[in-house]
Amino acid sequence: MPLIEVTDLQTRFRTDDGIVKAVSGVSFSLERGETLGVVGESGSGKSVTFLTVMGLLEKTAETSGSVRFDGEEILGLSMARLRRIRGQRMGMIFQDPMTSLNPVKKIGWQLEEAVLLHNDVNRKEARRRSVAILEEVEIPRADTRIDDYPHQFSGGMRQRVMIAMALINNPEILIADEPTTALDVTTQAQILRLMGRLQQEHEMAIVMITHDLGVVAELADEVIVMYGGRVVEQANVDNLFAKAEMPYTWGLLGSLPRLNLETTRLEQIPGQPPSLLHPPTGCAFNPRCAYAFDRCREELPELRPAAQEHAHLFRCHLGDEERARIWAEKKAAFAAAAGSAA
Amino acid sequence: MSELLVVENLQKYFPVTRGVIFQKELGQVKAVDGVSFSLEQGKTLGVVGESGCGKSTMARCLARLLEPTGGTINFDGRDITHLSRKSMRPIRRDMMMVFQDPYASLNARKRVGSIVAEPLEVHGIGGDNDRKRRVQELLEIVGLNPEHYNRFPHEFSGGQRQRIGIARALSINPKLIICDEPVSALDVSVQAQILNLLKDLQQDFELTYIFIAHDLNVVRHVSDRVMVMYLGKPVEMGSKRDLYDEPKHPYSGALLSAVPIAEPTAGRARKQIVLEGDVPSPLNPPAACRFHPRCPRFVDGKCNVDEPELTPASGGGDHLYACHFPLERWPMGEDEIRRVPALAGSTE
Amino acid sequence: MTAFVIRRLFWAIFLFLVATIAAYVLFFIIPTNPAALAAGKAATPVVVKHISHVMHLDLPIYQQYWLFLWNMVRHGSLGYSFVNQLPVRGLIRQDAPVTMSLVFGGAVFWLALSIPVGIISALRPRSILDRSAMIFVLIGISAHPVWIGLILAYLIGYRLGLTPISNYCPLVPSHSIGVPCSGPLQWFEHMILPWMTFMLLFAALYVRLIRATVIETMSEDFVRTARAKGASSGRVLVQHVLRNSMLPVVTILGMDLGLALGGAVFTETVFSLHGLGQQLITAATSDDLPVVTGILVFACIAVIVFNFIVDVAYAWLDPRIRLTT
Repeated sequence: MPLIEVTDLQTRFRTDDGIVKAVSGVSFSLERGETLGVVGESGSGKSVTFLTVMGLLEKTAETSGSVRFDGEEILGLSMARLRRIRGQRMGMIFQDPMTSLNPVKKIGWQLEEAVLLHNDVNRKEARRRSVAILEEVEIPRADTRIDDYPHQFSGGMRQRVMIAMALINNPEILIADEPTTALDVTTQAQILRLMGRLQQEHEMAIVMITHDLGVVAELADEVIVMYGGRVVEQANVDNLFAKAEMPYTWGLLGSLPRLNLETTRLEQIPGQPPSLLHPPTGCAFNPRCAYAFDRCREELPELRPAAQEHAHLFRCHLGDEERARIWAEKKAAFAAAAGSAA
Repeated sequence: MSELLVVENLQKYFPVTRGVIFQKELGQVKAVDGVSFSLEQGKTLGVVGESGCGKSTMARCLARLLEPTGGTINFDGRDITHLSRKSMRPIRRDMMMVFQDPYASLNARKRVGSIVAEPLEVHGIGGDNDRKRRVQELLEIVGLNPEHYNRFPHEFSGGQRQRIGIARALSINPKLIICDEPVSALDVSVQAQILNLLKDLQQDFELTYIFIAHDLNVVRHVSDRVMVMYLGKPVEMGSKRDLYDEPKHPYSGALLSAVPIAEPTAGRARKQIVLEGDVPSPLNPPAACRFHPRCPRFVDGKCNVDEPELTPASGGGDHLYACHFPLERWPMGEDEIRRVPALAGSTE
Repeated sequence: MTAFVIRRLFWAIFLFLVATIAAYVLFFIIPTNPAALAAGKAATPVVVKHISHVMHLDLPIYQQYWLFLWNMVRHGSLGYSFVNQLPVRGLIRQDAPVTMSLVFGGAVFWLALSIPVGIISALRPRSILDRSAMIFVLIGISAHPVWIGLILAYLIGYRLGLTPISNYCPLVPSHSIGVPCSGPLQWFEHMILPWMTFMLLFAALYVRLIRATVIETMSEDFVRTARAKGASSGRVLVQHVLRNSMLPVVTILGMDLGLALGGAVFTETVFSLHGLGQQLITAATSDDLPVVTGILVFACIAVIVFNFIVDVAYAWLDPRIRLTT
């Protein structure tokens, strides 16, 4: 049984300007110990999806669909019961470590709060566990630094504290929403390595939400690509990079400047991410797609399996041969560029 | 091809004071401590480094938004290091900046046309009609609809706002544009648009760029030469090929290997060098080689005693690095990088 | 911390000098003849001149100012009223408790009202409660204290006879002749309406301020983190939101208290409370420089003291300030 199973999740917000359809039918599942990479840009719905799963949305949000955690339906669960899962069996960390910690409370207090909310132990034990987890996330001199305030830590350290706080109750899943975007690249490498190690030691599933395909390539087992509130491609990580099946993914892969490629022009996706207030008709990507035709503007493509790999799903109206041909062209271009860089 | 910008030993120190009424100087934050380079017209210098390395401070010194504490800046043949505001004015026509945050760098209360026209107004170029025409021309050049002249910044997306910032920079036909992390705040697909735009503009208008970023992929794509900075000092400088294919300084190596690769098999296969600890505070930089506490090749007695000078690599005169035990080859794994050859005079 | 205090002290002294010099200069610009006023209508020019000399009015301005400073520092004296020759210090000692009762009592009420209302409005934006609170705010800010005071005095004091409508009774019971009433009960009864009048404006402003800061704090990232940990809304509110959102309130409170101690003129006038506000008006209209300057000194000190308290409180509440100054 998968650890998390999401079926047709929909989230809408009522705003003064109308209804924003942030998530329009997302389905995926995650096994124990697995890492799911969720790729998307602003407006893709990637963060909102997981805020919905955790139940962290505003009261103005309307949700429907199903989210099963360890077999139990948690969408629509009472606040009290959801709170027991949150912070204990599911942990979440966010993007900006500077603002994600309460500035007026010592980090020891904040860690102890996480323990005491879910465990019937005394303060001393909570503190002991807090020091232990800080050591595990490689904070030097954890026993003294536990009495410091967040602003006394650097960005990388703060993110480690956040991770510690999310892991202190040994959750079965850690949802990481762009955890390294705000960090320097060498710090990012440290944090990603740390997360990999902790995942192994705690046997945890990780959801890594990011816009960075490089991070996904390094950490994820399964990947879902989101656009305009929907999953547009879903595959095992090797398959996704080996043979992406739809134009948005091609565009993402092509627009990455890369260390080992010498290109004069990056492949750019024209325009900008769609408005979720007034989404385009048919396929959400059609206004920006170089291969769009009439059907794309009228009909939303279904999520269907790729020809060779049934576990690889995608949304596109283009035929199999057409897509294979375009991908082959792009790959050749990549190879040529890589060759010329050597 | 002439050298548009020659910088020698640029320094910017910020005093740290203590004292109630009469402030006593305790020390200095050496934000930029000895940067030298020359930049040819029409080329791009990429500057890479992490937080606290001084790259933004350096950019502001070059644009004379800050006054350097030491060193010289020679722009277009003229020494502009300590010029007064008044004398700098005509020079500012040739030097413009594009900033990182497309949401904060445009005045939300001004219409876009007015924002782009401002440099023209400041320098008294053209009458109202000429300026309007020029602005519309610029909007079109950067890929925006010239009819959106009268809109406000909040009506545009992040990528579009960055284009407005670029249009503003272009308005007075500068020779040099200093870009301080111009694409960091943008979505990946939009990043590509802006990078392509910058490259096109460079060709069309013979622009010279200083491109500051923390993303090595991006820097490689746009630069001709690259400079890596750490805690206020340049640790390695060279053509992009030199730096990316044969880095000499361990920090450059660490930076390169820290960048996630968008290829699963290659990514998993490669051996990463992960540094320990955080970047130290520029208030109290380590002695001698500033990188020594985190360096996997640290040799006690040498690296913490003698500060390495920028020396040329054997291959080419313009590939410089500051390290006593430079990397022998690249790529290197974590254990390989720790194997430092015996102390010798020259390590080439 | 000591450097902090010393620096504040220096600024305080500087501020004080500037304010008092300004008062002196102003008086010299206004055409007055306090000696003549003091001497009385029947006085001859010679007498006036003599009195002028006694009052040091024939000295140049800077010497008069210097005398004022010297007297204050050396003798703790604030001079003598031009109008009735009484020591200014005594006048202030008499009037200050009135103003202080009004201001501090009013503050307690306005905080007791605005904090809960502000928080609840913030938690339920656009609800009926929130909208009523905003209407209350609008009234509170727009209605003039004199108007409110008179209405309350008329309706509650006069018509319903529930409370007295004028005069001040000292808190400490006293049986001396000039004091018609005293004691805690009488003090309280006489202050109720003035408090209600005085606090309305501030309550309105603070409801708006607190509502805004709480709404802003609720949308901060660390509140989301707390909820992600599984904290209940109540806990999030008390432990995470409140302390952070009270910071601006503390700052403004200090300023408001300091300023109000300079004289809550309107309320004092309506209810015939002989506080510093009333005294100031009287003195200013009769060109009584020493009294005006004396009250100015008191107000300056009040502002300085309260700003200092605010700074310390802020540092206590926000560790980021503590450790970096």
